[in-house]
Amino acid sequence: MRTFDHIDVYSIAEACTTLREYQGRARLNAGGSDLLTVLKGDFLADYPEAVINLKTISGMDYIREDGEYLRIGTLTRLTDLVSSPLLKEKYPVLSEAAYTVATPQIRNVATLGGNLCQDTRCWYYRYPRSIGGPVQCLRKGSGPCLAIKGDNRYHAIMGGKKCFAVCPSDMAVALAALDGKVIIVGPEGERRVEVTDFYHPTGNELAKDEVVREIEIPIKRTPTQQSFRKFTLRKPIDFAIVSSATVITVAQGICTDARIVLGAVAPAPVRAKAAEELLIGKPITEETDTAAAEKALVGAKPLSKNEYKIQIAKTLVKQAILGVTD
Amino acid sequence: MRKHQINLTVNSQVYQLEVGTGQGRVNPSDTLSFTLRETLGLTGTKLSCDGGACGGCTVLMDGEAVLSCMLLTIECDGKIITTIEGLKDAKTGELDPLQQSFIDHTAFQCGYCTPGMIMSAKALLNENPAPTEAEVKKALSGNFCRCISHYQVVRAVMDATGKGR
Amino acid sequence: MADNYRYIGKVVPRSDGRDIVTGGTLFLNDLPFRNLLYGKVLRSPHPHAVIKSIDTKKAEQLKGVRAIITYENVPDWKFGNPPIVHLLDRKVRYVGAAVAIVAAETESICQQALRLIEVEYEVLPAVFDEYEAMQPGAPQLYDQLTGNLLPLMAVNLGPTSATEIVTGDVEAGFAEADAVAEGSFGYDNIPNPIPMEPPGAVVHWEEPNRVTVWVSHQKVWLNKRILTIIFGEEVKVRVIVGPCGGSFGSKTMSWQVQCYAAALSKATGQPVKLCYSKEEQLACFVLRPATRINGKVGMKKDGTVTAVAGSWILGTGYYSMTMQTQLAVGCGEAMIAIRSKNWNLKPAIVCTNRNSSGIVRGFGGQELKCALIPLLSLAMEKLNLDPFEVLKKNFIKPGDGYYWRDAQWYNYRGIDYSPAMDQGAKVFGWKDKWKGWLKPTAVKGTKSIGVGVGIHGNADVGEDVGEAYVRIDNDGRIVIIQGLAEHGTGQRNNTLKVAAEVLQVPIENVSITPGDSLITPVEWGPAGSRGTYGILGAVIAAAEDAKKKLFELAAPMLGANNPEELDTADSVIWLKSNPQKSVTWKEVLHLRSVLGHGRFDADYTLANCMMSFVEVQVDTETGKLDVLRVVNTTDAGQIIDPQGLEGQLNGCLGSAGIDSAVFEETILDPSSGRILNANLIDYKWRTTAELPEIENVVMETPMGTHRFKAIGVGEISTSPGPSAVLMAASNAIGQWLHEYPVTPERVLKALGKTTGENRGGAR
Repeated sequence: MRTFDHIDVYSIAEACTTLREYQGRARLNAGGSDLLTVLKGDFLADYPEAVINLKTISGMDYIREDGEYLRIGTLTRLTDLVSSPLLKEKYPVLSEAAYTVATPQIRNVATLGGNLCQDTRCWYYRYPRSIGGPVQCLRKGSGPCLAIKGDNRYHAIMGGKKCFAVCPSDMAVALAALDGKVIIVGPEGERRVEVTDFYHPTGNELAKDEVVREIEIPIKRTPTQQSFRKFTLRKPIDFAIVSSATVITVAQGICTDARIVLGAVAPAPVRAKAAEELLIGKPITEETDTAAAEKALVGAKPLSKNEYKIQIAKTLVKQAILGVTD
Repeated sequence: MRKHQINLTVNSQVYQLEVGTGQGRVNPSDTLSFTLRETLGLTGTKLSCDGGACGGCTVLMDGEAVLSCMLLTIECDGKIITTIEGLKDAKTGELDPLQQSFIDHTAFQCGYCTPGMIMSAKALLNENPAPTEAEVKKALSGNFCRCISHYQVVRAVMDATGKGR
Repeated sequence: MADNYRYIGKVVPRSDGRDIVTGGTLFLNDLPFRNLLYGKVLRSPHPHAVIKSIDTKKAEQLKGVRAIITYENVPDWKFGNPPIVHLLDRKVRYVGAAVAIVAAETESICQQALRLIEVEYEVLPAVFDEYEAMQPGAPQLYDQLTGNLLPLMAVNLGPTSATEIVTGDVEAGFAEADAVAEGSFGYDNIPNPIPMEPPGAVVHWEEPNRVTVWVSHQKVWLNKRILTIIFGEEVKVRVIVGPCGGSFGSKTMSWQVQCYAAALSKATGQPVKLCYSKEEQLACFVLRPATRINGKVGMKKDGTVTAVAGSWILGTGYYSMTMQTQLAVGCGEAMIAIRSKNWNLKPAIVCTNRNSSGIVRGFGGQELKCALIPLLSLAMEKLNLDPFEVLKKNFIKPGDGYYWRDAQWYNYRGIDYSPAMDQGAKVFGWKDKWKGWLKPTAVKGTKSIGVGVGIHGNADVGEDVGEAYVRIDNDGRIVIIQGLAEHGTGQRNNTLKVAAEVLQVPIENVSITPGDSLITPVEWGPAGSRGTYGILGAVIAAAEDAKKKLFELAAPMLGANNPEELDTADSVIWLKSNPQKSVTWKEVLHLRSVLGHGRFDADYTLANCMMSFVEVQVDTETGKLDVLRVVNTTDAGQIIDPQGLEGQLNGCLGSAGIDSAVFEETILDPSSGRILNANLIDYKWRTTAELPEIENVVMETPMGTHRFKAIGVGEISTSPGPSAVLMAASNAIGQWLHEYPVTPERVLKALGKTTGENRGGAR
């Protein structure tokens, strides 16, 4: 790893000021699980002059309900999301999603904020310097997306505009199903962004001097059926090939509310609104379920090698709604 | 704020390390695995992928299993680190029951993954002294072994459970 | 049998165990050196290009940089078969080819220096597909080759080597067949064995001609021989091999990493360490060969194979070191597994613009068989034959023979492995689980279960030569002098076992020298499961020779006319006829030691055998395949080391074995030739969380090897599994799957659940 300045910050405000001082030439670090792979791979043109350590900010790791909202601090470790009794009981989609991330060692350091802000896993984008040098692509600012004509087995089947990399975050998918908002702090103050809007086709919503402070989730007053499913070749370690998070409210056998979110199919988690609408007001049966799963994938446009992701996505949605267990 | 010095407790020994370049110092970009191996000479911690995927460099930080290749040493100020060298009794040389169990079961082939495997297992037993086999397998799921010592490792860990405390 | 022995077949803790579990084992990158410099390689971004200019001036000016070498100032070292691969060349032939090497005071200075080297390339058209590479007009990798085809002669096999299997009359064979099947079958996903410790070396070149090499390697003598060929006979090479963090064959191809370090050391006069990163190991080291056959087989109703014919294309990437030998061994192994009288199998080895293939556990035979068994399966399906019965029937039997790698005919003098296969089938429950071709064993909802079986055997169990010395010192301690690296099989510990058994001493009294070519004699090193017969055979012979010499000294002291009248245990020698009359080793060895010599000469008349049964589950909605259960069955003659053997057999799941049918593959970008998954997240490997149930059936029928009647089986454990998984998956879903690995994409396509339309990004 090439060297850099290293700065500990003690408040979010200080993090923002420091980011501003460096004018885009500094990177934030929390758990480090993503940033260090980016720096070691040395595949981006703008290697940071400084790394800003957020872990010195105290009181940023919390999971608490506060009247209307469940609030989770950006520095909360995935391990703590997995073991939190509150999440297990009332927000299992979050603890289940956290459990599917990486490996035990990574979950012990990786943070929620870091999971949301991690860079894409596209293997063209990440092709490392040490074995022939990084490649240019649309996401890096020049040239076409190399996945289009290349090996795109893990790339987007919907929502790809010019870059077909997918959002690698599992937590974002689960949070989107809970209507989570990302609270972003910048020099001008705070703003809230829907998780699904946090991601852009070639990056995310954060300006060069902004920091994710918290995730805010509205507390549902009625019990919900929650499920997180992640399709991978291997259970541990792997990033999702497709994932789904569903949060469904059923009253007297009728679905009264539904959130169906697909992950790893697009540059952002995708709310399957048409599928949600189809379910609401109907009983959950094999038939409505199959119809909803089909609806969820309407409009998917696969690349040369990833049509299989459509079939897998349909299956995940179907199984999640019906509560089928592996 | 820039740190100029960090304190690291490794295997019960306290190290005060200056931040900077040159022998014996910690460069901001030094990973914990680099510091342990190259600065402190503790080569028992193995590097293989140097990318957070293989678990070869697993050490305990404040009792939990972490990947030393994925931590900046400068961010480990004040942490308590245990490496594979710190498991045996420093005075008597007596092995940790986990280590002895690995020998008894020949729970290794080439032995390159073994320090990481043992540290992951140690973290599990610290937290859960009587794990099920499924829990052992999950706890070791981030540790690469290409010889496939896994079956014997799982047996060795199961055999060592309850003996560690 | 084992009960008669003191150590053979008994669990004995590995002598290196304590160091391994305490972190005390010093692998290459752990060794301390004085005045050490570090080396790094600048690698090509193009799959095929000529360097137009290379400017190292800026990098040379960087503080701490000590040497930069390019094709312009590199020693004229070349290797490969044929030796047309220069250490650094003006032409680069794959993405990742070495362009320049740098030595500096730290690794980080090396990295900075690499970024300052300016290279201008003239990019050439590249070819990645073997068939395209053979076409007229295809880009040519080497001036010395025509059509990118390599000569088939293996230089290391002596005056002759097998280059094809042509025997009998295939047309007659097809005529007498009840079923004929043909088609194109590949095993071309080029998985990577990925030993955990990456390749690396420290080299100290002391002028003029003395070179010391520390290397992560499984072979001592052979490596010294290779380096001497490269450096020139006038150079005195010393190779020191310590613990090796896995190899699976691959590190035998470490000549480049050693030569980079050697060239940099020669230039600087200081020792230079050069260790590959994991990315370099995955993208620039050793892949499994790519294989494709266009073949035709004939079979009778009783499962007799009447003929095998076709072409066998071996893709070797940008060069070959041993592909010709792998071809030769693969041909022999095909004959061992398929007792056909009629063969016409014509191989070719093709170069393409990707990283090289080479030595990986399975060595040619795994590659060929993983393509041949699916072809044979089509014939079996036509005749409704049980593959277990067909594979059993066709595996070599006493009275048969084969052309081995040296193109010589060998009459097989080994055992009939049918009882081991029957036992394995019984343990697996084959007869209940096999429901016929393309029929699942069971279906539970969307989960479909299928079974498959594969087989492998090789006659390299007695390959090549080796020697050992056994020295008995005056303190009664024993030193084995043998050039043997510990790379995971526990073989160094096994040498202690056999020596202790022959000499009847406590194993604690026996040690083995480090693998150091200055000390240790000719020894081919671990390969092809030869350790048990060859390596231990030499130690046994040396121990017996030492004992004989000891008895010759003791005989006069005991009034014996002849050493045969004596026996020994626990360092006491006595007269067999009068055990009361005895003398201690100490008394015999007053101020002296004895040195026994043992030699093993190649013997290709025996073959080992492994059959693997697998049960897989395929989710017909997602296409996901899981291996549920594996039963390996073999006959080891006599188990030497039960735990080590178990480890070797469990190894079927690692090092590009069974999982090369499940999820392992090296993914090459079709347009740039870059390896896209050169990291341990995108390259899939088996984790502890998903271990299939595994059982290893090991019979012990005494073999005609050495006094302990044992035969090696470690190397072959990866080989039968991949084709068995393909068979099992096909049976599970009721459709033929013929491509490795069985990805969800392929399963869903076979099930008709994808349409094959491409509607996205091409807009």
